[in-house]
Amino acid sequence: MWQSLPEFGTGVIYAILVAAAYTFAVALAAGRGHPRLLQSARLGAYATSAIVLFAVVLLSYAFVSHDFRIRYVSRYSDRSMSTTYLLTSLWGGQDGSLLWWSFLLSGYVTACVAWLKGRYRQLQPYVIATLMVIVAFFAVLMLFSANPFEASIAGARPDGDGLNPLLQNYWMIIHPPALYMGFVGCSVPFAFCVAALVTGRLDNEWIVAVRKWMLFAFLFLSIGNGLGMAWAYEELGWGGYWAWDPVENAACLPWFTASAYVHSTMIQERRNMLKLWNVVLICTTFVLTIFGTFLTRAGIITSVHSFAQSDIGQYFLWFIGIAIAASLGLIVYRLPLLKARSELESVASREAMFVINNWALLGAMTFILCATMYPKLSELWGENTTVGPSFFNRWMAPIGLLIFLLMGLAPLFGWRKTSNDALKRALAFPVLSGLVAMTAHALFGERLGYAAFVPKDPMFPGVVGTALQKVASAAPLITFGLVVFNVAVIAQEFYRGVRARQSSASKRNERESVLVALYRLVDKSRRRYGGYIVHLGIAAMFLGFLGSAWNLEREVSLAPGESASVGRYDIRYVGSRMCPGNPRCSPEEQADLNKRMVFADLEVSRDGAPVGMLAPAKFIYHKSPESPTTEVSLRRTLREDLYAVLGSVNAETKRATFKFHVNPLVGWVWLGLFVLVGGATISLWPEVSLGTSRVWAFARAGASAATGTMLAIWLAMTPAIASAESRPRPPAPELRAASPLPRLVSSGGIAAPAAGLGLGMVMARLTTRREKRRGSS
Amino acid sequence: MKLKSFSGPGALVGLIAVTTLLTAVVSGIVLGLGTALLVVAGGALAAVLVLLWASVQSLAGETPLTLDEAIGMGAPSAEEEQKRAVLRALKDLEYERSVGKISEEDYREFLARYRAEARRLIAAVDESLGPAHALAEKLLAERLARAGLADAPDAKQPESEAASSPENGAPVSPEPKSEAPGETSADASAESAMPDSAEACAGCGTLNDADARFCKRCGRSLELASAAQESDS
Repeated sequence: MWQSLPEFGTGVIYAILVAAAYTFAVALAAGRGHPRLLQSARLGAYATSAIVLFAVVLLSYAFVSHDFRIRYVSRYSDRSMSTTYLLTSLWGGQDGSLLWWSFLLSGYVTACVAWLKGRYRQLQPYVIATLMVIVAFFAVLMLFSANPFEASIAGARPDGDGLNPLLQNYWMIIHPPALYMGFVGCSVPFAFCVAALVTGRLDNEWIVAVRKWMLFAFLFLSIGNGLGMAWAYEELGWGGYWAWDPVENAACLPWFTASAYVHSTMIQERRNMLKLWNVVLICTTFVLTIFGTFLTRAGIITSVHSFAQSDIGQYFLWFIGIAIAASLGLIVYRLPLLKARSELESVASREAMFVINNWALLGAMTFILCATMYPKLSELWGENTTVGPSFFNRWMAPIGLLIFLLMGLAPLFGWRKTSNDALKRALAFPVLSGLVAMTAHALFGERLGYAAFVPKDPMFPGVVGTALQKVASAAPLITFGLVVFNVAVIAQEFYRGVRARQSSASKRNERESVLVALYRLVDKSRRRYGGYIVHLGIAAMFLGFLGSAWNLEREVSLAPGESASVGRYDIRYVGSRMCPGNPRCSPEEQADLNKRMVFADLEVSRDGAPVGMLAPAKFIYHKSPESPTTEVSLRRTLREDLYAVLGSVNAETKRATFKFHVNPLVGWVWLGLFVLVGGATISLWPEVSLGTSRVWAFARAGASAATGTMLAIWLAMTPAIASAESRPRPPAPELRAASPLPRLVSSGGIAAPAAGLGLGMVMARLTTRREKRRGSS
Repeated sequence: MKLKSFSGPGALVGLIAVTTLLTAVVSGIVLGLGTALLVVAGGALAAVLVLLWASVQSLAGETPLTLDEAIGMGAPSAEEEQKRAVLRALKDLEYERSVGKISEEDYREFLARYRAEARRLIAAVDESLGPAHALAEKLLAERLARAGLADAPDAKQPESEAASSPENGAPVSPEPKSEAPGETSADASAESAMPDSAEACAGCGTLNDADARFCKRCGRSLELASAAQESDS
């Protein structure tokens, strides 16, 4: 059998299809009046997931053992690659990434089925059935269009082509899995939604069930997109992080609908309203995730992310069509049940604000979708248009600022109805802060190098063009005002919450310190305050986006010893070196047999004082010498980043061309992302249910909390690890210190859940003992 | 005995997973990653076989219902859902008043409205649970009688009521009693949201509703207290 691993692997994919179909049938039967079959369907779902696991492990084995009989292995790996990159090749190409996708999906299936256990018994069969349809779709896709186990036509080759050098970096290890986690995660809410529609149980039941799953998907969509931005910024070397590339757009579309949903779900929970809207949002989010995959895979739009051209697009189109038709059909069928039981009581209410904000988010999504698809659609009527980043930037500025304003306003309103007085009181401080900030910015901004108005050229004539130009020119001022407004709103919310807690505590003749009150406040309504922290993160990200208004950029050609200045920085070009070979290279650089590296060493001083060295580089991989990769060198501060790109080095004269960018406030984007992740994690924090098995509940909560924290820390450290791993610099003591970090973090990854488990156990013991004592006394 | 059939494949799969992981780690250290992956693949395949076998078996034969499953069968009704939404709204209302997001006038208006709604829904839920509850009471009484703990079904009525857990539903009386463990705090806030018709607890001084039978803070019986007061005076 091992003579023909490709055939065997293909057989395993057939097995996935068969098992998914079997589980689907049994689950359906369980839903149609044979509830006792549910257990069978559950076991079938587990078995299907186990087969997918088997397939993934099989492919990993093929990679590790360099089995070039398999076309996918020979195309995306070679013998010189390290084990880590061999394993990342699993999702490096079309075929494998579909298998990886199914693998993550089967992980969700297992988690979901295990979590469901005895809950939601009416919904369960249909949830499992829907998930199985999605698994089966990916199995069909692999079998008929992109089989990762397909045999190489040329037979076993001595060596493979190797992974694209652009993909051989740290980001490749973390960005695709994180984004896929977000994309695939949207399948579970969709499955619940379909189950609710089929059974007609459209009250709050499924909304409550879906809550955490959707938040989890939202969290990973944010992380995935954020990591994509960081990757673009650090690796692609054009000085920015978001280029409105079609695939980037496709990846952020579900984020918009998911954010809309996490807000509108609260209205349904409280007011039994917006049932139809929520169902539509969930279905849209799911369809958009599939559409995003389609856009990446089908190669219909040229993009940096494109995979090889293939006929896979039509399968996706069929699936999207079926998903839309099925959801629409079900929605129409259940329309009478989706009617709201109550209505908006006042426009001055939080639900009204949420509805408006939902429309704005959906509008932004539709705009991006249309603008992304327009070049393709215009081909239908023989036009050939391109929609560039400047178009998106110009239009998205007012839309984004509107959403940002609404984001700040909504928390100030109460549910149902807010009286004018209360609203005035709530608005006073944030509005005042925003206005003061804007005035200060207008007065002193120019002097500090952050001008309040940055004149822009009109993009097109007419009233709209002029209006857009005006907004774009005043964007720095407005954005800064809104950032301060938003932060003030959140600060005020926390302040009021703490005050309310303290005053109610003093009524009970107890005293709560500010920190205790703050902790209990957040602990008591995690979703609300976690959400506010997410808002804080988004405000920080907007501050980062704002910085791009004052970007500086300079292209120079320097001989060794010459200097150039950009902004407040003076940069002296010391000289270039080739590694391995040059004595100034570090041992790791000397040992690298995969590529040659040309570094240009730069001495940087700011306002006359030396601040350190930069070493932008060109890497020439032996596998693809014709396309050297550009390695950016960065000096980060929260105020601004100095971003150096090496254009070329003359081998004889050592004269080099550089591009320097000074990007103010970019660091705030990443900082905001961490805050967002933290806030979403607080919202997701598991409730310790005081059920029968208290010890187990505590242990579980402790372990999951520790794992979550570890994941967050790991993600937070990634830039540091990435720069320590992928950007060798001239040997300097402070850079050496960074190298044990990855090992430390990865060993922490194993230790933390174990420590959390232990901590949970101890806590549980203590609590039970205390309870017992209380009970006996 | 019933749990056994449920945890059968689960325990076996758990065993396979643990064995596979251990073997994979050991063989990974001794023989390299390739062998470890093969071990994991073998483990996955074994798990597939066990799971599919168990699935087909339970498809063919009768598997007894587990306690978890039996409890899960009782899905909440539409009234139950609405009741939760209203209780939640009352909780929000309290919060909003405490942070000053709502005027006193609006607060009272909404409070009255939601409270009336909550009462109506709770009564409806209780009513729909009525027959089932009566049946449960009867069965329990019979069982107690059979076990020799009670002489006749009717004689020990109060005790059997006290013994009925929250899962068995609230008493048929329309008092807003907590339905599920998770609802207690919301219920408490629903009750605290009625400062007008209040009665102070003799033990802790907390204001309770006029029709409350127990203090919401310390749990002291208010009926006894008021009866005692009456007899004193």
